[in-house]
Amino acid sequence: MADVTLRDILINARQESFRMHHYFLGVEHLFIGMLEIQGGLTRSLIESYGLTTEYVIDAIRRKTGKGTATQRMFAGMPYTPRADMVMSIANDLSLEAKRSEIGERELFEAILEENDNIPVRVLARLGLTSTALREALTNSTAKIKNPAQLQPLLEVDFGADFQPVTPFSDDHYFILRRLFHGYSRVRVDRQLTGGYSASSVLAVTPINGDSTQDSPVVVKIDHADTILDEAQRYEAHVKSTLPPLTARLEDKPAASETTDMAGLKYTFIADSNGTPQDLSIAAAEMGYEGVGKWIKHELYPTFGKTWWMQRRPYRFQVWTEYDWLLPPLLTLEYTADNDANIPTIKDPIRRDKIKALEYGDPVAIENFTVHRVHRDKNSMVLTIGRGSEAAKRAYKIEVRGLNLAQDAHFRGEVIERLTGRVWKTRDEMLLMALTELVPDFDPHALTIPGVAGISSLPNPLSAYPDLLDRYVNGSLSKIHGDLHLGNILVGHNHSAFLIDFAQTRSGHVLFDWACLEISLLDQIAMPEFGDDWAAARQAIGILAATRHPSAAAVLPRDQIAPILPIAAVRDVVNDCLTKDGDWSEYFIAVALCGLRAATWDTMSPRGRRAAFILSAYAVHELSQRQKPGSADTFTNDDETDAGDLV
Amino acid sequence: METSVDLMVMSGVEDGRMISLSSANGEGKQEDGAWVIRMGRREDNDIWLRYDSFASRYHARLHCRETGWWLEDCNSKNHTYIETDEDDAMVSGTIPLQVGQLFRIGRTWFRIQV
Repeated sequence: MADVTLRDILINARQESFRMHHYFLGVEHLFIGMLEIQGGLTRSLIESYGLTTEYVIDAIRRKTGKGTATQRMFAGMPYTPRADMVMSIANDLSLEAKRSEIGERELFEAILEENDNIPVRVLARLGLTSTALREALTNSTAKIKNPAQLQPLLEVDFGADFQPVTPFSDDHYFILRRLFHGYSRVRVDRQLTGGYSASSVLAVTPINGDSTQDSPVVVKIDHADTILDEAQRYEAHVKSTLPPLTARLEDKPAASETTDMAGLKYTFIADSNGTPQDLSIAAAEMGYEGVGKWIKHELYPTFGKTWWMQRRPYRFQVWTEYDWLLPPLLTLEYTADNDANIPTIKDPIRRDKIKALEYGDPVAIENFTVHRVHRDKNSMVLTIGRGSEAAKRAYKIEVRGLNLAQDAHFRGEVIERLTGRVWKTRDEMLLMALTELVPDFDPHALTIPGVAGISSLPNPLSAYPDLLDRYVNGSLSKIHGDLHLGNILVGHNHSAFLIDFAQTRSGHVLFDWACLEISLLDQIAMPEFGDDWAAARQAIGILAATRHPSAAAVLPRDQIAPILPIAAVRDVVNDCLTKDGDWSEYFIAVALCGLRAATWDTMSPRGRRAAFILSAYAVHELSQRQKPGSADTFTNDDETDAGDLV
Repeated sequence: METSVDLMVMSGVEDGRMISLSSANGEGKQEDGAWVIRMGRREDNDIWLRYDSFASRYHARLHCRETGWWLEDCNSKNHTYIETDEDDAMVSGTIPLQVGQLFRIGRTWFRIQV
């Protein structure tokens, strides 16, 4: 890497300042300018700590915020007093080093020495202190080489059980090399079942130079933003609430500089060795009844003490906890319309107004927050950005056709106003997902064919908007947020482990159990029943009958057996209901989680069909309970909270 | 009694500028036993945020009392925030402010110097 001079850095820094509509040069612009140099010193050093440049750049941009494009309050491109100070320190350093001009190293050292600027503060927040960085900078040789080249090649073997669901790419090898630096070999034993994200979760055994094996670990590889957020979230929220024997994140994440992928390593803190298996595999040995018992007597009590059992009353409007599960409210093609008279979407959201929109209609979005930026696709996802952690992600709006090279957008940015034209609505996306499953009924109809004992069921596609507006008197606790069979591991002596804390948060207690019910339906129950809609209706019919002991008594034993794990989940739910015996709180969770699962590409069509029928059945249960004057958990709250209704 | 304070601008075009105010120079004003400093985009504030289009005309006030420093948001459009260990927290009403703690008015971060 040739020496990068201040002049090169300033070109990048000015561009960054323009992109952010700042029009001055501060230490943050200089630092981002340094991070943008491919193979540069700053970049390599940050990446050697498991952070990616994009992640750090977004964190810095969030701290400063964006200026307005229209108002420039001063002429030219002045330096901030602090940038002047940093430059003068850098100048001294380069004189000391007898260099003719300031280089990247001197500037980096000066930024760390000044120690009070935005980049240093942001890095400290991400766990990287200036002291540690200065030490690393001093100890680094004159030029930091690409860390990938520093590492001896790690041999990657595959165990007999390894059947990749997603193919292994160069990034996977690269990240494994970084995560297992110091080992001579690793064996990828198997790929664990994925959730709804694009992540790969692998069971890996590290092998030393002398061929001795270390305890197996679980590696998760996903988009860098997701992985780095998970690591931050783990430190802040998860670590202190885990049982003593569990899977922990002991090492920093590893990122790849060539793509936006990164990896994490979960180490098992257990009383004995042995490869933990995920519950979908362990279930084969345990049997249906065994899985149910294990969920009730092992999983629930192990994590429940600090999570689900620590619940407190929580009254919420359904959309705040569940809207984020659904497809984007709208997908827009970005346009620079400046017409003030076009329909505007802003908080509070009026869904009826959005329902009236059609393909090509102009629409404005006001005060939404950037949730995710896809730099490669020039698109981003906006959300409402306020309230509980789930509410912040509600009302997704996808915007395509942006020019991100010219106009920076960053996660957490609040967009005052943006205009576009409608490309797709949520209803269209839900309908497309259902059509993919080749329904044997009219997907537009208000009701769909029923299950045993119930002649017809409400169509969730028509019923869901009403559910989102309701209020629930529920409870709140720390929840896992993505509780499916692939994230639940069974260790030696049948001990329970959880992995993947990317979604862990304070949320509706029953959310986790509704997710688990759907995962059990997909992976354990449905293989017994079959693939088509008739099989889905049969399974849900039996599940419905188990709620009534008299109906269940006449069912053949072999048909009930695959449902037993779900029955165990229902027992746990019974223990977690906010109001004894009032199941509406749970059915609302099942209705929306089921509808979401029906849209997943990563779930089998068999599972998606069953999830859709389960959702319909849950809506049916809710309508049975919603009788005037009944003392049910949820209400439409017409009298009390009418002002809050959107 | 003479009261004085040093404030450091922590972001924006004036990042790194130190602002020193003292009651002896007629800066700030006495109000209900507190020394009050006004911050905003209008020129007649004690701290004039001339370059921040996200600041309100009269955005926030700092109160120096016997109990320490307090930060008051004056119903500003873009709100006032303090930096916490997690997200930045919006200030509603008047809250105690630690010396050294960062707070944001419009797009500009400030800190009372130790």
